[in-house]
Amino acid sequence: MRIRFAAAALIAVASMGCATLNVRSYAERGAAFTRYHTYTWGPADELTTGDPRLDANPFFHGRIQADVEQRLAARGFEKVQSGSADLTVHYHANLRQRVDVGGVDRGFGYCDADECRPYVSEAGTVTIDLVDARTRRLVWRGWVEGTLDGVVDNQSWMERKIDDAVARIVDTIPRQ
Amino acid sequence: MRVAFILACASALPACASTMTVSSHVDRAANFAQYRTYLWGPADALPTGDPRLDKDPFFKDHFEGAVTKELARKGLSLSESGTADLLIHYHANVTERLNIAGVDRRYGSCLDEDCRAQITEYEAGTLVLDVVDARTNRLIWRGWAQSSVKEMLESRDTMDRQISEAVRRMLARFGKGL
Repeated sequence: MRIRFAAAALIAVASMGCATLNVRSYAERGAAFTRYHTYTWGPADELTTGDPRLDANPFFHGRIQADVEQRLAARGFEKVQSGSADLTVHYHANLRQRVDVGGVDRGFGYCDADECRPYVSEAGTVTIDLVDARTRRLVWRGWVEGTLDGVVDNQSWMERKIDDAVARIVDTIPRQ
Repeated sequence: MRVAFILACASALPACASTMTVSSHVDRAANFAQYRTYLWGPADALPTGDPRLDKDPFFKDHFEGAVTKELARKGLSLSESGTADLLIHYHANVTERLNIAGVDRRYGSCLDEDCRAQITEYEAGTLVLDVVDARTNRLIWRGWAQSSVKEMLESRDTMDRQISEAVRRMLARFGKGL
């Protein structure tokens, strides 16, 4: 078990290279997740992804949706028609350019020549919201953020990245 | 990856007259051998984000001409009836992006004496070409080309060359993802 976990972690690290994914989530205080068993998709996101390659791209959005459905099913949530669902699920994906100054602070002399370089990278975020269908209140939000340089231009790599991201977000939903 | 490429080019400008990135996504289940004809889909309602390219007939004519030529080489022809196997859409977009150069001390490639980062803003253009199965109305392939639009807007000849290169390289990947 332990060895398998270590192997999985190694593979995960190797496949991601230096690009790490940061996962965060928060649940509404007092939300009783034992109440929720079924979900339905909410209306499509009106915001654009910020990247023309991904806007209205079914290979990108379809992968996220299929992964969310698969992961939610694995966690015991059943997809149902709207109207009878306990939860409404929304997601939003965004890709933007980010400048990282790389800790440049020559004035104080703690700049390592190797690290001390500002650079530009592509940062991607996927956010998943769970809304109580009855009260319409957001009960849980999870998101993952990471560097995606070159990822969108490589479909298989993008798919692996989405699989990993969604798995890690859904994993942070409180256990029922 | 692409950023690294742009960086490398910025430090060796003369060598990189054209730095175009091209790639695509594909529906792996689609059978591309079954398609013979296409039609241009409804015109794109989205603006390019740049007034110099919006409603530019030169751009439109050269782009559509280049696509027609490349598709003909693949055995696909423009339908002469009202129906076709494929519908083709395209969209051009221009966004401001940043490039940072001139700070790589280790490789001695500083651009100025102080070796400070040189941050430049450039206009990145993206051309997206969508191919939809007309029967199922599903996108089966999307190709795109991205490059700085500065040179492209300098002259009609350059624009023509860039469009031709973009279309040729995009459609060389037709039916493929990565």
